[in-house]
Amino acid sequence: MNIQNYPLSGGYDELINADHQPRSSARALFDHLATLTAAELNERRAAVDAAIMTMGITFTIYSDGNNIDRAWPFDIIPRIMGLDEWRRIELGLRQRLTALNLFINDLYNEQSIVKDGIFPREILTSSKNFRPQCAGHMPRFGVWAHICGTDLVRDSDGTIYVLEDNLRVPSGVSYMLENRMLMKRLFPELFELCSILPVDDYTTRLHDTLAALSPRSGERPIIAVLTPGIYNSAYFEHSYLAQQMGAVLVEGSDLVVGTDNNVYMRTIDGLRRVDVIYRRIDDDFLDPEIFRPDSALGVPGLMRAWRSGNVGIANAPGAGVADDKVVYTFVPKIIRYYLDEDPIIPNVPSYLCMRDDEREFVLANLDKLVVKPANESGGYGMLIGPRASERERAQCKERVCADPRNYMAQPTLLLSTAPTLVGDGLAPRHLDLRPFVLQSENHYVTMGGLTRVALREGSLVVNSSQGGGSKDTWIVEARN
Amino acid sequence: MLSRVAENLYWMARYLERAENTARLINATGQVLLDLPRGALFGWDVLIHVAGLDRLFAQSYSRHDEASIMRFLISDESNPGSIVSCVHRARENSRTLREVLPRLAWERINALYLFVNGRSAHAIDRARRHNILDELIERRQSVVGLLMDCMSHDVAYQFIKLGRYIERADMTTRILDISAAVLVPRHQVPEDPAIGLLWMAVLKSLHAYQMYRRHFAVHVRGADVLRFLLKDPHFPRTVRYCLDEVEGSLAQLPRYGGPLKLVRIAQRRLGGLRLDGLTAASRHEYLDAVQSDLARIHAEISVEYFHQGEQNPAPLEALAAG
Repeated sequence: MNIQNYPLSGGYDELINADHQPRSSARALFDHLATLTAAELNERRAAVDAAIMTMGITFTIYSDGNNIDRAWPFDIIPRIMGLDEWRRIELGLRQRLTALNLFINDLYNEQSIVKDGIFPREILTSSKNFRPQCAGHMPRFGVWAHICGTDLVRDSDGTIYVLEDNLRVPSGVSYMLENRMLMKRLFPELFELCSILPVDDYTTRLHDTLAALSPRSGERPIIAVLTPGIYNSAYFEHSYLAQQMGAVLVEGSDLVVGTDNNVYMRTIDGLRRVDVIYRRIDDDFLDPEIFRPDSALGVPGLMRAWRSGNVGIANAPGAGVADDKVVYTFVPKIIRYYLDEDPIIPNVPSYLCMRDDEREFVLANLDKLVVKPANESGGYGMLIGPRASERERAQCKERVCADPRNYMAQPTLLLSTAPTLVGDGLAPRHLDLRPFVLQSENHYVTMGGLTRVALREGSLVVNSSQGGGSKDTWIVEARN
Repeated sequence: MLSRVAENLYWMARYLERAENTARLINATGQVLLDLPRGALFGWDVLIHVAGLDRLFAQSYSRHDEASIMRFLISDESNPGSIVSCVHRARENSRTLREVLPRLAWERINALYLFVNGRSAHAIDRARRHNILDELIERRQSVVGLLMDCMSHDVAYQFIKLGRYIERADMTTRILDISAAVLVPRHQVPEDPAIGLLWMAVLKSLHAYQMYRRHFAVHVRGADVLRFLLKDPHFPRTVRYCLDEVEGSLAQLPRYGGPLKLVRIAQRRLGGLRLDGLTAASRHEYLDAVQSDLARIHAEISVEYFHQGEQNPAPLEALAAG
């Protein structure tokens, strides 16, 4: 397997430079790959696929009224980044989440950023994810978003940008951990050749982050992972994290809030108190007493218990207010306002459709821009201008004019690529990176994160629900 | 332990047990049928009676031939008692149990599911059936062995055992009832060689033939087979053995009083049974009563552990320290 014929796509490639040479962090990998034939490599890939099926690493998609379990599409060529570059990104991610938490806490309390004219009140009042029911509450450490999945992309000039902050129920971290386990099983020799930094301590750190939210001190807190259930696309991850943390995996119907405003779970011994809930269901479904009354997934009275300080909830209800693509455009200002620092990782330049002049520009340049709705995830409702049809662009224009607050636009970035095993050879495929950032008593950033890759040639959509796959992500120490 | 988790463990075990028993039953019956003369007194449809699925079968099948019955019992997803359905449900249950079960258990159950899903259609074919069902049994036994050796024998494990042994006892009574399901023509004497073959099939379907001969009797006679499979305390598929296991597991759970009382009733019924001179009709009636005992034990376990406390979330304080 050699890289002389690797068809560079013209953008930035993570592993191979413009002279068809491996970047320094990837040299050991390619030296080793050069000793393997295409047949050997395909054999390893087949072994990986078999392991994924047996281990049941799947995600669920809903199609034609059925839930289908799909094997997790995994590419065996890792994505590699040097530790020096990663350290800077890590600082940037920490800075960003610290500022976002100060921002959320401010919005639900003093609202000084609004009063000081930095953040427009109309965005707040029209925000779908601002929960007035949370106003006046101060969770422990003033932290609302304890677990954040930040999507990073690299443009053709090599600059890394934050594409979005996922602060509601970000998923994918279990795949990051499983990817590493698969690579260790299948390519153990690479872990001797390259100094790959470990990722395994995530679940321990997640446990500590959650345990710090316990209202009862001096006891081993009971932590529950609240899942919508087996038909949720991320169910695999919910059970995986519960298992790894020694937490209890619960569904809404397993929990009950007592007249004493404590949360209990139904066990064979009767009711047992729960201290911390890592919820993987959206605000809307959390508590039918407060939010959607038709929710069967949630727990009646949960908000009462939380507001009384009797249970920690991560992420806190209402934290999603900062997970909004319009709010996103203000993050650099938010960082400066609360921390008095310049952002370490830049935002992608963005245009807000609520501003007349910017909307004019967006509508006049639909063929060059990516237009995104404020509150969708999974790539839904997005227009990739240069690849859209005339009709799709016209429909997008109608949607934007009908609800300008709900749309923003960005230039189409040429996402970086990495070599991916396609047939018998390597071909470039576009990718992004989702590190996971934790904050409660302490901060923690995963070593690397989940690299998602668009497996279709030329595609820029990396979501697993839309044909994306993933790679193991290596942060490597430089070797002399 | 969460009540829902306990319930899922219990059902996972029941479904796995049922799938394996069905596979055994089919294999043993297949072997015996080969020895019977054409037009003999029982055929494949006996298996449908045993499973208690006559009505469901009649709804979707018009022919009672081997292929239809095999499809119905092995690969028909619309039959909740088919092997495919049982393994599928066991897998869905165990999926919610990944944080309780050893990781390898999930992998093996998942692999069992993938195996059954990929092969069940081939098992309709007589030539391949035996090997496929044998492998299924082997894979399921590896799950049982893994749980026995790699899972703490804690409360969670007891729920697995409860499900396994209640299902097994139930299946054993159903298999014993096979003879009542067969219409014995009046002119045939009870010790007709074909009847002997049938009792042998009963023993073989439970992998009990060898142990029966070694510990109990050389000749295969109805009353002896019945006595062995109901009352023997050592062979792990007898009703007596299963009830003893259920009793032992219950003793490790909180509030076992209610269910245990019902186990005792079932044990007494076994102890009191007189087998000599039992007619086919009274045998059927008796086995029916044992099945009802098992159903009541199941219902009591369900109320006590799976659905308790659903009506009254308070008072709570006393339990909080737990």
